[in-house]
Amino acid sequence: MSTKGSAGSERKSATSPLIQVFEPHKAKTPPLIPYFTEFWARRTFALELARFADKAEYLESKLGKAWLVLNPLFLSLVYFLLVTVLRGGASKTTGLSTLAHILIGIFVFYFAQNIISDGAQSITAGGRLILNQAFPRALLPFSSAVRAFGQFWPTIPTYFAVVLIGKIFYPKTHIPLADWNYAWAPLIIAALAITAFGLSLIFAVMNVYFRDTSKLLTYTTRIWLYGSPVLWKPEMLHGWHRAFLFVNPLGPCLAATYHVWIDGISPSTSEFVGMGVWIILSMVIGTYFFTSRERDFAVRV
Amino acid sequence: MILTPADANHGVIRLGSKPPSIAMITAKGYKKDFLLPDDLAIRIEDLSITYKINVDTKKTLKNAVMRASKGEKVRMRSVEAVKKLSLDIPHGSVVGIVGANGAGKSTLMRAIAGIMPPTSGRIIVNGKISTLLALGVGFNPALSGRDNIILGGLAAGLTRDEIDSKTDEIAAFADLPDGFIDLPVRTYSSGMYGRVAFAVSVSMTPDILLLDEALSAGDAAFKEKSFLRMRELVEEARTIVIVSHALATISDLCDSAIWMHKGRILAYGEPELIVAEYLKFLEVGTLPSNLEDM
Repeated sequence: MSTKGSAGSERKSATSPLIQVFEPHKAKTPPLIPYFTEFWARRTFALELARFADKAEYLESKLGKAWLVLNPLFLSLVYFLLVTVLRGGASKTTGLSTLAHILIGIFVFYFAQNIISDGAQSITAGGRLILNQAFPRALLPFSSAVRAFGQFWPTIPTYFAVVLIGKIFYPKTHIPLADWNYAWAPLIIAALAITAFGLSLIFAVMNVYFRDTSKLLTYTTRIWLYGSPVLWKPEMLHGWHRAFLFVNPLGPCLAATYHVWIDGISPSTSEFVGMGVWIILSMVIGTYFFTSRERDFAVRV
Repeated sequence: MILTPADANHGVIRLGSKPPSIAMITAKGYKKDFLLPDDLAIRIEDLSITYKINVDTKKTLKNAVMRASKGEKVRMRSVEAVKKLSLDIPHGSVVGIVGANGAGKSTLMRAIAGIMPPTSGRIIVNGKISTLLALGVGFNPALSGRDNIILGGLAAGLTRDEIDSKTDEIAAFADLPDGFIDLPVRTYSSGMYGRVAFAVSVSMTPDILLLDEALSAGDAAFKEKSFLRMRELVEEARTIVIVSHALATISDLCDSAIWMHKGRILAYGEPELIVAEYLKFLEVGTLPSNLEDM
């Protein structure tokens, strides 16, 4: 069968007036306005990619998506036992609040960790897509962030269920269940997600250049967890040691999480400033680093 | 007749036999407007593409840190994949690209698709592009064929509604056995896998279809079906650019061909003649004397 003979045939239908011009990137980055316009136009792709990745992962697991809650829940219980043993036992008044702190801390930290570690692997894992389709590559780590959020939100009702049951047995424990300060929680979660997404852009590029970055992240995030106010209270740091909270990109968000969820108070001004600074830093550095290296992906994945 | 870049008017190679159009269309929305003759699907102006690759056997952070501690740099090599290439491809053409490995064919295709931006020069594309440059696009082996068609379509820029309306058509074109469309892709044979990928790319009703070694998928019957579909696309004034090492495919399917060698166009013209010259080169291993200076 041949298609020959159709060469130079008259155009029967006018082509769509879609004209694209591809030119060298100035300052190594693509033109950012068209880039983010395209990013927004293709958001459905990122959302569906996240949904299908989840579906593929839990397709053959009997407990399916229940693992999304069970995994951090069991981990929190393990850390709770560890912390209790190290402290020489838990009192009736502090035991539940320690458990609640570790629970919400682990749930929130794992949300950030999933954004970063899945985002780091998103480019290398999307090799065929990258070789075949032109689309803003930042959609791939964004899809990982969407997926991480889908895995995170079911842990919130779990937290409330644990605290509610705990309060039946330990009614004197002071943990807010209904408090106006919870209104800060979505803002803190959004700040954490944006910061983690910015960091995931950096690690995604590093993983393209150095394939052991994602393996290194496994250990780094574990150390990161111990260095964050998840297993310990932010108030345990005094004087200049408090700077430790703010050099950690997730530190201000996790400290604010503790204050809202466990203390029932609003985040401090320094925590708001810390969150704002880390959002700007991670997004500006992450976006520049990612978009300026995007061109290389097609020859390195 | 075989032509070389030296025969081209002002160094710009124009494929096809029709005289160039003088009616121009304008690409707006950029910092400046670009003019393009309205009969052109693709205009490539002085295109060069260079990239760096890491030639270290261990591309790890550990290796980079070890090297840095010894005061050594990561070993990089600069690859000039495409060099100063200018080409006009009119609407309704079927263009075949032949050349040895490393000639720059796949890089050129990725540049036309917008996947690999130029290092210098410019590409103007008039129309919606569909690509099949790597087999199994968007394919997650744990998911069903239907799910993968949705992913592939979304990646190509279709809306969910558009994909839903085409899924059965794609499945029918891919000629999957009954019920296979809802089975995980890992249960597919390599032929079935390739047929689904091809079916997705041609069902996008593209203005410009870019295929890199995509026609090797499937058996003789599917190949004939693919050719028929491409013929339909060409009759609708769609443009097809094919990279293939299957030279018979280039001769059978294309109305013009390009021979690329070390990032440059060495010759262009009728596919049979280009393929014959290229075959001679493959047998002898040296370039024809009239093309040596290119």
